[in-house]
Amino acid sequence: MATDEIGIIHFKNVIKKFGSLVALDSVSFDVKKGEFVFITGPSGAGKTTILKLILGELTADNGEVSIDGFKVATLGEKDLPKYRQKIGTVFQDFKVLPERTVAENVAVALAVIGLPETEWSFRVEHVLKLAGLTRATNLFPSQLSGGELQRVSLARALAVNPKILLADEPTGNLDWDTSDKLMDLFEKINKEGKTIVMATHNLEIVKKYKKRIINIVGGTIEKS
Amino acid sequence: MNIHFKTAWDYIRRSPFQALAVSFVLTLTFFVTTLVSVLVYSSSKLITYFETRPQVIAFLKSDAKDTEISDLQHKLALDTHIKDIKYVSKEEALAIYKKATSDNPLLGQLVSPSIFPASLEFSVTDLSFAQSIIDKVKGESIVDSVGFTAALGGETSLNDVVGRLKTITTYVRIGGIVFVGLLAVTSLIVLLVITSMRVVGRREEVEILNLIGATKGFIRSPIVIEAFIYTLFGVVLGWAISFIAILYLAPTVVTYFGEIPILPRDALGIFELFGIIFVIEIFVGVVLALSGSLLAISRVKKVR
Repeated sequence: MATDEIGIIHFKNVIKKFGSLVALDSVSFDVKKGEFVFITGPSGAGKTTILKLILGELTADNGEVSIDGFKVATLGEKDLPKYRQKIGTVFQDFKVLPERTVAENVAVALAVIGLPETEWSFRVEHVLKLAGLTRATNLFPSQLSGGELQRVSLARALAVNPKILLADEPTGNLDWDTSDKLMDLFEKINKEGKTIVMATHNLEIVKKYKKRIINIVGGTIEKS
Repeated sequence: MNIHFKTAWDYIRRSPFQALAVSFVLTLTFFVTTLVSVLVYSSSKLITYFETRPQVIAFLKSDAKDTEISDLQHKLALDTHIKDIKYVSKEEALAIYKKATSDNPLLGQLVSPSIFPASLEFSVTDLSFAQSIIDKVKGESIVDSVGFTAALGGETSLNDVVGRLKTITTYVRIGGIVFVGLLAVTSLIVLLVITSMRVVGRREEVEILNLIGATKGFIRSPIVIEAFIYTLFGVVLGWAISFIAILYLAPTVVTYFGEIPILPRDALGIFELFGIIFVIEIFVGVVLALSGSLLAISRVKKVR
């Protein structure tokens, strides 16, 4: 596999349009394995579109998106779930299951990848400890703060031991202190070898964490 | 507890009235289905009873010789439409008479075997052949007269008896099946509505599960399991209520119908009958649950 040469995430001349609106215009970049990349830019620049293209939620109108050797556009309806199971995603709006406890939210991800039930408790315990949620194990999302909810989302993404972690504005709804703590966690995870692509417009965080930046403006890469 | 089963159970607990509505409709359906099944069984037993009992009695002339009787018996035995041929001697006829008049022994004492004719009793494989066979037997030289025992409602010919029985049975079967069919369709619709509501209610959850890589099967499983829980509940409860009702009514019904075996006479037979009905209903329940839930899922997806 030539992923190391072309990057675990490879975008080549990607164009994505929504009607007459061009969201991405001939975007090309590579992200190497184990890299931590910020995708920055103003609202509506195309940051989330890039993440959605990686996740297979959207398909490019033109160009090539390949992730860990998979050409996303060619994935069939049956292959897409298997593909998504290899990617952990942290959403801006958390996307936690409201009627399940913290532990159950994480366990669902393990059930999705088909991990035997006997191995769940160890994994759940491990990621909740990593995310600092040990005390919240049996609480429901309605009993948690925004920061805690974001950490649940992160714990769920990490539980499946993904190769790539996508984070769409993970600090968008959090105060500085909470954001900082969450970023420390992302950095720790990155040091363990995970590739992280984070879309953010929080410049303070970008400045503090000094990672590679892909800056998108009006659907094109201004700086990488 | 399996995660899909737990999800399904949680949804049932969260909206108990929807669950109760669909469960009761299914219970009613399978209750009536069980009763109609028993009715169909009983009516077929009723027909079989009249078709297999010795329906035709050929009364023999008093001067008929043993060899002639034996020849006739042999001749009848060769007819493929005739079965269970039995010779009843004058003495046996007297014994039957005495048994029939046992509540008044004086009647038995006043008669002797000589006044009772010997007879050949037999059944026909299908009652539609009865009239032609009777006509044929009447033509035999040693036969004095021919009678038949299957007389209901004052019919004058055996064909009328058969026609009447079969008409009643057909009406019972068609009526029962149509009624069960209507209830089954109602159950399917109620199941469809409740399941559709579930799918719509789970939209956010489905979206999240999709994004974290859940397969269609994973997403659909709790919905299908929920439908299975409702139908299995309906089958078991509906079947059990009708089983208890039939067990309660069985002695009265069996006594009323006398020697006609409209229900199995022993416990093993009853359990066997209800066991077969239960297995068939479970199968129907599985089909109902699968079709109801999958139809609802595909319908909601189309609308979206």
